[in-house]
Amino acid sequence: MGKWSDGVIEYWSNAFKPHYSITPVFQRFLSLGLLIWVGYLLAVTLFALTGSDLAPYDPTAQQVLARLLPPFSSSSRGFHWLGTDQLGRDLMSNMIAGARLTLFIGLVSNMIGMAVGVVLGMIAGYYGGTLDRLVMRLSEAQTAMPMFLVAIFFLTVLGPTVLNVVIILPTLIWPSFARLVRAETLRLRSALFVEAAVATGATDWSVLWSNILPNMAPRIMVLTVIELGHVMLAEAGLSFLGVGVQPPATTWGLLIARGRAYLAVAWWLAIMPGVMLGLTVLALNMLSRRFAATSGSAA
Amino acid sequence: MNHPSLSAFLLTRLRDGLIVLFLVTLVIFVLGHVIGDPAGLMAPVDASEQEIARLRRQLGLDRPFTEQFATYFGSLLRGDFGQSLWQDRPALTVVLEALPATVLLTLVGLVFAGLGGSTLGVLAGARPESALDRSANFLSITALSVPNFWLGLLLIVIFAVNLGALPTSGFASWQSLILPAGALAIIHGARVFQLVRSATFEEMTKPYTLVARSKGLPERLILWKHILRNTAVTMMTTIGWEYVRMMGGAAFAIEVVFAWPGIGQLMINAASRQDFPVLQAAVIIAGAFVVVTNGVVDLLYRVLDARIRAA
Repeated sequence: MGKWSDGVIEYWSNAFKPHYSITPVFQRFLSLGLLIWVGYLLAVTLFALTGSDLAPYDPTAQQVLARLLPPFSSSSRGFHWLGTDQLGRDLMSNMIAGARLTLFIGLVSNMIGMAVGVVLGMIAGYYGGTLDRLVMRLSEAQTAMPMFLVAIFFLTVLGPTVLNVVIILPTLIWPSFARLVRAETLRLRSALFVEAAVATGATDWSVLWSNILPNMAPRIMVLTVIELGHVMLAEAGLSFLGVGVQPPATTWGLLIARGRAYLAVAWWLAIMPGVMLGLTVLALNMLSRRFAATSGSAA
Repeated sequence: MNHPSLSAFLLTRLRDGLIVLFLVTLVIFVLGHVIGDPAGLMAPVDASEQEIARLRRQLGLDRPFTEQFATYFGSLLRGDFGQSLWQDRPALTVVLEALPATVLLTLVGLVFAGLGGSTLGVLAGARPESALDRSANFLSITALSVPNFWLGLLLIVIFAVNLGALPTSGFASWQSLILPAGALAIIHGARVFQLVRSATFEEMTKPYTLVARSKGLPERLILWKHILRNTAVTMMTTIGWEYVRMMGGAAFAIEVVFAWPGIGQLMINAASRQDFPVLQAAVIIAGAFVVVTNGVVDLLYRVLDARIRAA
């Protein structure tokens, strides 16, 4: 068994190979479709990495004479693809600037949730017994709780900071990782290669890390992509309700919330950031479906 | 498979449900009383250190944790959720007043989500890769990829701002229900669609379908009689789960968008006014709904599935 990354690389390279059941004409089309989604995600990532450097204008620059301009209009400053807001700020520049925090919160919460779920799931599945019951009961109880409401309460009590948002969001997703990983670990624990590794005297840690984890990495990845979408939607919800990240920070959820007041006169302010967020989550969902189909398993 | 009797099952579910509710109150208590600082929040802005300390003693906040929680839990059991700081009425009354509006909105949304999602799901699952299947599938993935409150805003822009056809906020007539319930129905119907579609598709490949087809039963009969009967359990449980999602917070953002006078709107108002008693009561009441719905779904699952019932 090689490094855990071997499985991942093989998996991703397979993911981009055409799917067997699709007719040749559609094959090219679908691969092209997939590339468009990947391209979109890369662009969003680039926006997040560069911050407002790629934005056409300074996102905070106000312009009194160019307030609430509709998309595709010009001001004395130049062309505004998506129009301007109530203070004359360029909407597209704000959306590009908002990519950073939106993606940062989504990715960090997603990674924490995944790490917690994977570790607890592996422990539960590998050792069984009391530990297993404890972890599974905890995840069941938490799934049965209205966690989004608990999150609202949590953020109201402790204050709506980025740190608190990143603390509470993983609690929404770790149970699904724990359930998947536990089931997979249980399945793999009795596999011959695992028994062989145990027989040669490998430690629990090394069996889990180099034998079991690589074999379920593809499934974990599919779930990670799906849950990233969920976390981003949850963050947007919290921001929209006013208990998430606070201005002057910018996330897409906050931009939607800010635009809501101008819905009747400037629909683009609330709708466009939602389109950007929706396309991001849609791209993640499309990719996860494709990956699930490639690995021959529904995630 | 060894299944316990129905009464034993009910008792287990009841116990588990009560444990979850207890955990919800424990989490709320730890967050509100131990990590948070109720005295500091309730005291006037210009209160001195000593005044806050006195308030702390009055509220019993200097007591040991277990004692505080026992007192708190005891008063919850008596239906005492504290006074609303903002309305100066019992918090439970404030929440219960908002409850009917939420129940109305979510039930109407659920009915349409269930009907629409199931019908389309059966039709699409019966003809995999057809134009209907592809388009409905893509639309449902899209619906599940957008924030639900954003969909609400989009409906407002289309139907209220541009067409001027429907009311957008408050609860004036049955027409006020159309847009918020519609937004809920689209998002939750999309998930019902996904699950019913794959369940139908799975049943289509089973031997009994092949037998029915080979003995010449019309396709319509196979689909709406035999297959539907076998997917009914999936349908019911899926719809139940969607209700759990709605009451677990999904419907609340929609309430805020449409200024619907339900629990979600109340929670956000209470949060912005730091009215913790109301916020706590709302979370616990919504939590009770989630727990009860979960139990009902499990029960339905047992009662509907003859294979489990007979065992």
